[in-house]
Amino acid sequence: MKTIIRAEGLTKKYGDFTAVDGISFEIREGECFGFLGPNGAGKTTTVRMIHGVSPVTSGTLIVNGRRADIKNRALKALTGVIPQEITLDIDLTVRENLLVFARFFDIPRREAKSRIGELLKFVELEAKRDSKIGELSTGMKRRLLVARALLNRPLFIVADEPTTGLDPQARHLIWQRLRQLKARGTTLILTTQYMEEAQQLCDRLVIMYGGKILKEGAPNGLIEAEIGREVVEIRIAPDRDASLVAALSTLACGHERVGDTLYFYCRDGSAIRRRIVELDLPNTVHRPATLEDVFLKLTGRSLIE
Amino acid sequence: MNLSHRLLHVFVRNLVSYKRFVVTTFIASLVQPLFYLVTFGIGMGAYMGHFGGRSYLFFLVPGILITSVMMTSTFECLYGTFVKMIHERLYDALIATPVSAEDAIAGDILWASFRGLISGGLMMAVAAAMGIFPVSVLSFVLLVFVMAFIGILFASLAMIVTSFAPNFDFFNYYTELVITPMLFFSGVFFPLDNFPGWMKTMAQFMPLTHAVAISRAVYSGVYPRRVLFNIAVGLVLGLTAFVVGVGRMRKRLIK
Repeated sequence: MKTIIRAEGLTKKYGDFTAVDGISFEIREGECFGFLGPNGAGKTTTVRMIHGVSPVTSGTLIVNGRRADIKNRALKALTGVIPQEITLDIDLTVRENLLVFARFFDIPRREAKSRIGELLKFVELEAKRDSKIGELSTGMKRRLLVARALLNRPLFIVADEPTTGLDPQARHLIWQRLRQLKARGTTLILTTQYMEEAQQLCDRLVIMYGGKILKEGAPNGLIEAEIGREVVEIRIAPDRDASLVAALSTLACGHERVGDTLYFYCRDGSAIRRRIVELDLPNTVHRPATLEDVFLKLTGRSLIE
Repeated sequence: MNLSHRLLHVFVRNLVSYKRFVVTTFIASLVQPLFYLVTFGIGMGAYMGHFGGRSYLFFLVPGILITSVMMTSTFECLYGTFVKMIHERLYDALIATPVSAEDAIAGDILWASFRGLISGGLMMAVAAAMGIFPVSVLSFVLLVFVMAFIGILFASLAMIVTSFAPNFDFFNYYTELVITPMLFFSGVFFPLDNFPGWMKTMAQFMPLTHAVAISRAVYSGVYPRRVLFNIAVGLVLGLTAFVVGVGRMRKRLIK
């Protein structure tokens, strides 16, 4: 697959503060590539450099064969952006929002009108075409942002935390639409702090923390490599750690104590589970490993502030 | 400066959104200048006798016209732009498209100038109803250009203020300390001739002084030689404010 975005030693500084610290990655055509990390990890700053609204401090960033640059209008014409904040034009109706936006891309009016019809259908907002933005729910606003990002038939879409603040129904609808786009061959670049979202959508992802990339890989590959397949959580006072670790660690690939919980990571948790039953421990949870475990293992389970 | 035809798209965006506020803004931009016209023009004018052989209103109208252009374009680029930038995050959406930050700001300045032109035009209509017209059709046409340019000047100055503003309250400094004093010291209501020398000098540093002088010359068709100086100052100030205003705002929008 063709690489459409390539970063090497990409760095962004705001004064003395380094928001993105020399990261390198490649995004291939047609894949969904995720930037996963907590607030302040540098995800949004990275994608803002990719779609040309934030200047690169140092390093290389090549997008579609050309250097990313805020003056590169041709690059912006190829990009669709679903922003983190709701940046809809609240003075205009749903349809007017799209019409005005199409103008910014110099899309001829007739073409824009037919395209807007298709897109409103795609995001299920046909009934709301003449509503004001204030009359829409947050989920509808997010869907309208998706439609707006597609107006110019972009080569790739940057979705910056596209489901923040949505209820489960609205979130799943956005996910479905994003998967549909991917199925049509659109390249998706996603930032998120929701592990489930990354697992649902991304082919490959990087885990970012403090402006750096900690790990890169496919979601399931990362989980297998870092955690194993299953996690056993035992809520128990720390004074029993030594005896429990002695009894169980041979059956697990790793363990960790955080707060009131002792975690065991393993490929197959059934052996541990049998031992737990023998030991008669209350308050245990046995579950499949998730990206969240990888993330917390890499960044530490303590509160990040 | 990264400008393109796309600044017109931004102008059109404002036009589409404006149709919801037309009536409110017509009323708002008429009321204050109308009060000045009635109280000073008719009330005080009755005691003023004649100004250079004509009624006081003929002196007052060109000044009030340009003042209303100043007010409207200033407020549009203070509050209007600030709301779009901070509250609606409109510029964030704009600069992610082929519209550049410069296009967006220049489009807004052009829009504010257009709004000023509407205010000035309304005042002209009111003055016409009171029997005060520009001396000729040519003078009317020139006046439209003057109002548009003065609109760009004050819109650009306001953009500079907006580029620094942390919040709405900040604008009070500008409106109370700069705009309001200009209203009284720029020869809108009476000629500057009888001011002491230092005040005359101070007035030369106020953009409105030059705007009023140009407007009055064009309106009456009487061009004193000094108006060339006013035009030169206006042009230099207008272009400088435009470049600085767009540049400062660009810095605020692109991080």
